[in-house]
Amino acid sequence: MSKRRGLPTALILLTAVTLVSAALVRDGEGQALQGEYKVGVLEPLTGALAFEGKRHLEGMEIMRDMINERGGVMGKKLVFAVGDAVDPTAAASEANRLITREGVKIITGTFSSRLCGAASETAARHNVIYWETSCVDPRFNKRGLKNVFRTEIDATGFGWYNIEFIAKHLAPRFSLKPNELKIAFLSEDSSYGQGVTEAARDRARRDFGMQEVALEYYNFQTINDFTPIIAKLKQLNPDVVHHIAYSNDAPLFWRQSREQNFIFKALVHAGATGYGGADFGKATGADGNGPFALLEPGPGFRVEALRPEGQKIEREFRDAVQKKTGSYPLGGHQLAAGGLWVLKLVLDQAKTDELEKFRSAVMALDLPVGSVINGWGIKFSETGQNANERVQHYMLQWQNGQLVTVWPEEFSTLRAKWIPLGAWDQRK
Amino acid sequence: MGAVPQLVISTVLLGGIYALIAVGLTLIFGIMRVVNFAHGEFLMLGMYLAFWAFALWGLDPYVVLVGAVPIFFGVGLVTYALVMRGVVKASHNVQIFTTVGLSTALQNAALVVWTGDFRVVRPWHSGVVIRLGEAAFNLSQVVAFAVAVLFTAALVAFMKWTRAGRIMRATAQDVEAATLMGIDTDRVYRLAWAIGLVCVGIAGVLMSPLYSVYPTAGLQFVLLAYVVVVLGGLGDMMGALLGSLIVAAVEVIGSYLVGSAWKEVIYFVLFIAVLVFRPAGLFGQRGSETLGA
Amino acid sequence: MIRDGFLLDGLILILLWGAVSGAWNVAGGYAGQVSLGHSAFFGIGAYSAALLATRFHQSPWLGLLVGALLATVAGLVIGYLSTRLKGPYFGLATIAFSQVLLIVASRWRGFTSGSEGIPVPFRPGLWTLGFQSKVAWVYLILGLAVTVYLVARYLETSRPGYQLAGVREDEDAAEALGIPSRRLKVAAVAASAALTSVCGGLWAQYVGFVDPFYVFSVDLSVRFALNSIIGGIGTAIGPFVGSLLITSLETYLRATFSDFKAGLIGIYLIIYGGLLIVVVRFVPQGLVGWLGERLRAVGRYARA
Repeated sequence: MSKRRGLPTALILLTAVTLVSAALVRDGEGQALQGEYKVGVLEPLTGALAFEGKRHLEGMEIMRDMINERGGVMGKKLVFAVGDAVDPTAAASEANRLITREGVKIITGTFSSRLCGAASETAARHNVIYWETSCVDPRFNKRGLKNVFRTEIDATGFGWYNIEFIAKHLAPRFSLKPNELKIAFLSEDSSYGQGVTEAARDRARRDFGMQEVALEYYNFQTINDFTPIIAKLKQLNPDVVHHIAYSNDAPLFWRQSREQNFIFKALVHAGATGYGGADFGKATGADGNGPFALLEPGPGFRVEALRPEGQKIEREFRDAVQKKTGSYPLGGHQLAAGGLWVLKLVLDQAKTDELEKFRSAVMALDLPVGSVINGWGIKFSETGQNANERVQHYMLQWQNGQLVTVWPEEFSTLRAKWIPLGAWDQRK
Repeated sequence: MGAVPQLVISTVLLGGIYALIAVGLTLIFGIMRVVNFAHGEFLMLGMYLAFWAFALWGLDPYVVLVGAVPIFFGVGLVTYALVMRGVVKASHNVQIFTTVGLSTALQNAALVVWTGDFRVVRPWHSGVVIRLGEAAFNLSQVVAFAVAVLFTAALVAFMKWTRAGRIMRATAQDVEAATLMGIDTDRVYRLAWAIGLVCVGIAGVLMSPLYSVYPTAGLQFVLLAYVVVVLGGLGDMMGALLGSLIVAAVEVIGSYLVGSAWKEVIYFVLFIAVLVFRPAGLFGQRGSETLGA
Repeated sequence: MIRDGFLLDGLILILLWGAVSGAWNVAGGYAGQVSLGHSAFFGIGAYSAALLATRFHQSPWLGLLVGALLATVAGLVIGYLSTRLKGPYFGLATIAFSQVLLIVASRWRGFTSGSEGIPVPFRPGLWTLGFQSKVAWVYLILGLAVTVYLVARYLETSRPGYQLAGVREDEDAAEALGIPSRRLKVAAVAASAALTSVCGGLWAQYVGFVDPFYVFSVDLSVRFALNSIIGGIGTAIGPFVGSLLITSLETYLRATFSDFKAGLIGIYLIIYGGLLIVVVRFVPQGLVGWLGERLRAVGRYARA
């Protein structure tokens, strides 16, 4: 099968191609067409994560238009250069393209933890700012990199809020002290599931002494039947099921729990997939009442609870989303748009994208909860992480086919129902 | 022990679903001696067929089931003509990469055309629960199981007692002798391929009320379908049924005792072990010569 | 000389995927052992480099070495399997093997950080394999590519290589001639594994993040085979040609169809699936072989 090409020929060919390409004289296309400021946006737009990535991009675009109606950034019109980060190699490669070909000095995105690590590494090597809006890997900002910032809480924040809700809001209503509460941890096995679950376990144990009765991880791609797990859990009789699920396993678990008549007092999840996604409602319909999901604000949100400037921008954002998509903002929209809005505030303050001044502006921002959209506040730590306490998160609950805001109570007109959940056919 | 009845029922019902997927795969293995790496994608297509019929015209999956048989038979004939003809006599590389390429193409076609969104089929009976003592299960599971058993029985009967079936078996056993006898082996392979796809296609339709529908849904089941087929012996349909029960038992008992996260390791290791030490499967006789060694 | 980072990155990826496909080709093309689980070795290499750098604070160069050693051991195991199983069944076994490694890596939180993967730190310097300049990476990966190419050429021109070809074409005949076919096959798979692992280690340093669901994925394994088959399985330059075609098309499409048209990018994967089917049947010698035949036909015509 081998061809008599001869070693010299092929080697010369290969080396020639390499040197010629490496020698091409090309500058990256410069920044600043007069009056425009270009920011790179990196999201998974193809592949399995695309449905969420596209929602993030949509949120970014809506917010970009809003920003441009309000004078743009640093007095210039905000425009995007978009990259598709389908896997870690593509994330690094596209980040590189955005920096070298599109000439961006700031990259934002990226939704998934497996992508933000690689992309931000590339950005760091080029001294480009990486402005993360969603990925939750706790190590993202602990690598000693001066150019990475994150507007959203990390996985420990998710775990923190979930346990906060369970301990302070649910336990008393079950007439239980937190350290009397039996909690079962069920989780899909990806980076997201592991990160949030371990953080929740940690806080449940350390801060409240909750009794962990079970820890079950599974692969969301191959889980076909929850009945063995449910059988096990029934025997352990937890009060609360802390279930971090993806999109195909949440309806399966919920349906099979109902079939098996597995009674628990509450189910709590975190994030925009699984119980926090619209797919769950479509899959379960009227049977889906009850589960809680930690998310950005949904219907029932008391905009009046925000500070005046926060109310204004929040209302305008909702109107814009309604006009563009015909519905309520979804988690992906809110995270992306929230992050972009904060970026605008920083750039307006710093008036430059030069790293040192940018960093100073970031650290100087100090806004209380309720100041910007989603009811967030802003206070970045030295490592570039927006503080968990400022990034207000909310517990939503499935009520009659809709995910509505129920906690914290000062932020909502609606209240959590079915505490405890009780019998399966009693939840109307 | 309170959980035992439930675990047994879960094993049986899950095994039924796996059997439906595996029986088509083992038929293709057995007659064509070809590994269909795209089997999971045809399962996915079956699920999407049920979804679109439901979403567009409100058709119940069990109605679609009837139509799925001729549809997937047709799909089988078309894909055979376009892609699979002559693969049996071709080199190993061709055998492997033809279906691998088909798998890649189908998965990504579904992703491009239907997007990665998770779809659901919710017919009126999707919430019906059947209780049997201390155990409970979904009506759709029982139907899938019943169809699996019936279909396998029908296939076994077909292979054993009909002329076409005997011709197929003869071709599988000794292709040269079959050709000498005047059998058109190409038609045999085409029939085997088409029947195999019908099996997995209706499996997809039957599973649509139970699982979410998305482009990579095939991956959820296809790897363990290979395990089932190897355990049961290539080409052995009763073996596929038994192999399905074994794999389901490993999954269910493994999940209950050890935890779900490691269950795949258990059956993958079992898979490699059977391939190496008992290539004819736990029960089978045939197939070992083509595995190697 | 001023460099364009985008083209340099594209070049690095072409060479890297070409090298790893070439490594696959040692087992798949030259030894005839088609593995669909080579990502197992890639992942071993990536994790070794990442773990040695982060957990043991050693140089990633050492990580490459450790990875190669571990992969060789794994390669010996897979090689043994290759002596027991033929064709597609070997392929299935290799898939199972790579998935077992995936599960172990994603569950062993204490050692590998589980599903969250390992961020690979960038520390400038030669010893830490931290090259700021893309040009340095080009030369490094070029060196890797040349090494893989030379190994393939060795297999085309040496005695063990001829024996291996004999085993590939007709194992029974080769055995009858006294060729130690088992040993050769196992050696080829082990060598292929070691080379693949080095590629994985360098990849980890370049991209900066090791995610178990990516580095051990079946998609990646198929990708290695795809490049080789389309370019020319069993030729030394074939995998690089295949990688050139596929990687550059992919990069170009991604750059052109960004934002919401991105759904169209997936079309190239459909095309490659179809191309795989067509090439493996009608152009089994791949693009390189086909070109070679055309050129020689022209040569014959010219001489006539």
